[in-house]
Amino acid sequence: MRIYSAASEETLRASKLLADWAGEGFLTQEQYQRLKRETVSELRTTNIFLRLILFLFTLISVCAAAALFLTVFVPHSWEQTNGIFLVIFAAVSYAAAELAASRGRLYRYGIEEALAVGSVGFLCVGMEFALFSGHPLLTASDAAHSLVPAAGAVFSLWIWRRFGLWYAFPAAMIFTIFLSGYWTQSDAAQRAIIAVFFVVGLICVAALRTRHRFDYLDDTYSLAEAFLWLGIYLAINLKLSPSNLPAGWWGWGGSGVAVSEYTRSFYWTTWVLIWVLPPVVLVRGIRLKDRFVIAAGAIAAVLTLVSNKPYLGWPRHTWDPMLLGILLTGVAWFLRRWLGRGPGGIRAGFTAARLSGKDKQWMSASSAVLGLVTPQSITPSPQTTSPEVRFGGGASGGGGAGGDY
Amino acid sequence: MTILARLEQWREQGAISPEQHSHLACLCRGELLSLFLELNLLLYAGVLAFVAGLGWTATTWSQQLGDVLVLAILSTIFVTCFWYCFSRAPAWTFAQTPAPNAAFDYVLYLGGLVWCIELAYLENRLHILSGQWDVYLLATAGFFFFLAYRFDNRFVLSLALSSLAGWFGLSISHWPSHQGAAYRLYALLYCLVVGFGGALLQRLGLKPHFFGTYLHIATNVLFWAVLSGVFEHEGYSLWFLVLLLACGVSLAWGLKRRQFAFVAYSAVYGYVGVSSMLIRNVSDFTFVLTYFVFTAVAMVVGLVVIARRFGRQA
Repeated sequence: MRIYSAASEETLRASKLLADWAGEGFLTQEQYQRLKRETVSELRTTNIFLRLILFLFTLISVCAAAALFLTVFVPHSWEQTNGIFLVIFAAVSYAAAELAASRGRLYRYGIEEALAVGSVGFLCVGMEFALFSGHPLLTASDAAHSLVPAAGAVFSLWIWRRFGLWYAFPAAMIFTIFLSGYWTQSDAAQRAIIAVFFVVGLICVAALRTRHRFDYLDDTYSLAEAFLWLGIYLAINLKLSPSNLPAGWWGWGGSGVAVSEYTRSFYWTTWVLIWVLPPVVLVRGIRLKDRFVIAAGAIAAVLTLVSNKPYLGWPRHTWDPMLLGILLTGVAWFLRRWLGRGPGGIRAGFTAARLSGKDKQWMSASSAVLGLVTPQSITPSPQTTSPEVRFGGGASGGGGAGGDY
Repeated sequence: MTILARLEQWREQGAISPEQHSHLACLCRGELLSLFLELNLLLYAGVLAFVAGLGWTATTWSQQLGDVLVLAILSTIFVTCFWYCFSRAPAWTFAQTPAPNAAFDYVLYLGGLVWCIELAYLENRLHILSGQWDVYLLATAGFFFFLAYRFDNRFVLSLALSSLAGWFGLSISHWPSHQGAAYRLYALLYCLVVGFGGALLQRLGLKPHFFGTYLHIATNVLFWAVLSGVFEHEGYSLWFLVLLLACGVSLAWGLKRRQFAFVAYSAVYGYVGVSSMLIRNVSDFTFVLTYFVFTAVAMVVGLVVIARRFGRQA
């Protein structure tokens, strides 16, 4: 099912791991240079920056080409005709992605990714125009309309499996969220349907990943499982995800459902679940030593703490974030000390020490970016009394603190 | 062949020692997992949440609590943070120095953010700094630069650069609404100061690993400033030439140093600027689409050539 051979992907994985280990000093430079020669893959890869801009420009060219074709060759056609052409573009774009990956041996190169992503977009828009033109999206209540997100979800899943593009999986999840809106108007039912879909997905992924525990697919399934846990959590947390899914998510009139509109049992069941789910996810992540699932559990735990007061109808206090901050730093400090006191700084297979050269790079890059951005977000935005700009008239406070604090 | 099989093979060939094999196989089997990144992220999120709550509480409850109490609390946190940092810091060196412990960088960052809150509170409540904002910002930037270099901390370096930008009258939140010529000139001046300052410090061997941070910030502000000039309706020719020059320099730097972020900057900013010049007065939709098809394909071809020649896996 995968477009790349397992051997090629294993070789690439080995090459990346070697670089990682050499970066952390687990291998000498001589060893690294020698072993690197044994892990040369025939797949063409590039670095993240070139990958991103190749993705961008390929997407621009593909979208512009489709629009140009429709403008020049079928200028005054019906929307249905345009839709049929867009479905054809989806097929062409997908075929080009297949060619780029199989013949061109492009692997995470941006080009084949943009073609694959473009094909999903063309398919959905094309189906919408071809099958339901004249009807604005989401206003039709007929279940047939759900064909569009269903096709998007299935096609995204296919691309995830075929090309191994991690972001195709959350895209499929987002399409799934749209499905329920066509089947029922009840917010509770929509949430239940979404949660059921994600639970089924979770069972499938959990079953599949046991066979790939030590190979190149383990990370793919691990990430998918983490997304599914988070998806389930967000679907059941009534205080975090807007009501009237997915219209509320996109601002299409999701006016919010009053608490009273949920049945009492549903409301309190979700409250229990948002407390039960994070420890379950965390325990599973710790048992599997799976960093993505652990991260999903930790995020869910923090979100539960944040949304608990609104759930109970208690007022928020200005010092709540301080308490949360103290809790987070306290947990981090305790865990680090606890792990550090274990034999060799290891307890139950966990360590607080750095084991990857990549972690060091991430820390360096993120500390500079986060240090620059966060003061702007945590402090009140400055008011401008005059648009006039004067030298030395810094309107923002030090490190971004508002001048009008 | 899985990585575990490869490791076994390398051990048998003598390419790696049995100890290395044991350790690396242990990592591959997931028997040992590092929580280094996760714990750092928790610390960072904790500091951020704490400071946000502190600021919110200080603004909301200042009248009930009284200025003296608020300032005393803020000062206590601030002094404690810096006492901790100065008492635990290793001896200063020109080169990169690791933090003495995992929490150190975050305590310093907390101290820096609390300092910002305290000064802003003083200004808001007591108006002590009225009319002196520029002095305050410059002094704050200087203070943060000192801390960043003393403790080798990128978080605080970013705070310093952010404060310096404030002194120049720049703010991310203001950018879309004020793109006047004066604003642009100050942005360019900021780029020059940051760029040359960073280069000079690197040449002097003073924490040379900070240079990347200076360069990325200066490059992005420069491109934003120049692009805003290109978008003007009049007098944009000069800015267009400056944009082309900047793109050329950024591309050359990126390729020479294998820092492909700069190649990306030149490609994206350059494409936006050139496109705005070429199609700004064109009303023919077909021409615009044709332009995007051909230029985007040309960009892809050019980038593939660059990727094949220079940009293998980085």
